[in-house]
Amino acid sequence: MPRKPTVVKAFVLILGASTALVLAAPSFADDGAMPQLRFERGSFAPAQLTVPANKPFKVKVTNGSDAAIEFESFELHRERVVPPGETITVHMPSLAPGNYQFFDDFHHQVPKGLIVSQ
Amino acid sequence: MRAVKAALASLGVLFITIQLIPVSRANPPEQNNPDAPAAIVRLLKRACYDCHSNQTRWPWYSFVAPASWLVSRHVAEARRRLNFSEWEAYASDPDTAAHKLAEIADQVASGKMAPWYYRAAHPEARLKPTERQALIRWARASWAAVRSSD
Repeated sequence: MPRKPTVVKAFVLILGASTALVLAAPSFADDGAMPQLRFERGSFAPAQLTVPANKPFKVKVTNGSDAAIEFESFELHRERVVPPGETITVHMPSLAPGNYQFFDDFHHQVPKGLIVSQ
Repeated sequence: MRAVKAALASLGVLFITIQLIPVSRANPPEQNNPDAPAAIVRLLKRACYDCHSNQTRWPWYSFVAPASWLVSRHVAEARRRLNFSEWEAYASDPDTAAHKLAEIADQVASGKMAPWYYRAAHPEARLKPTERQALIRWARASWAAVRSSD
């Protein structure tokens, strides 16, 4: 019997943590905002973008580093060079729900990023 | 002598066994190829499509391991980099299509494409200088058209 409140507390804690995570993740549902990625200090930020499924969208990619990068995704059929200090707009097709990787093809040590369509 | 025979027999068994490892030689359905004059399409099909499209003509050695592993991996990587059969997907972002066209022109002009080892096994992929120039002109003209319509 004394275990019940602990289980409830754990459930509430997990629910709260999950809600906080969902709210914290960059999401671009129907608010018209254009998702943005920034490359700086050897990585993309955010590393994960969440976008609405089955709806074309655009992504702004800014290169805040002092060397050119190549924003590329095999799954999304995208390949664009971003000169240092510049911002480009990448047109994306409507995506089926799932995860789509992107990376910097000029610097393979850069961690890959993820576009999550849901 | 017995050791040599045993080694050859082992190699034979190994050779037969590796043939059982599955290799992907799929040609997925065609989507949409780039808009190009018939002569350019013929050149692309002759010199590029075996690796950079879903119309791969799988050669006999792609059915024999270990060569089959190399061919399968090479085609998969080539399709990831540029797949003419999925051109429509690139074209939905005009700057990506322009980038691909610029790369085609550069790779053909530099002689990096088709690779020497592919040309060695496939004489039909060897382009005459005039054919090479025709491909470069087409890629550059298409690049300019995409850029001006963007």
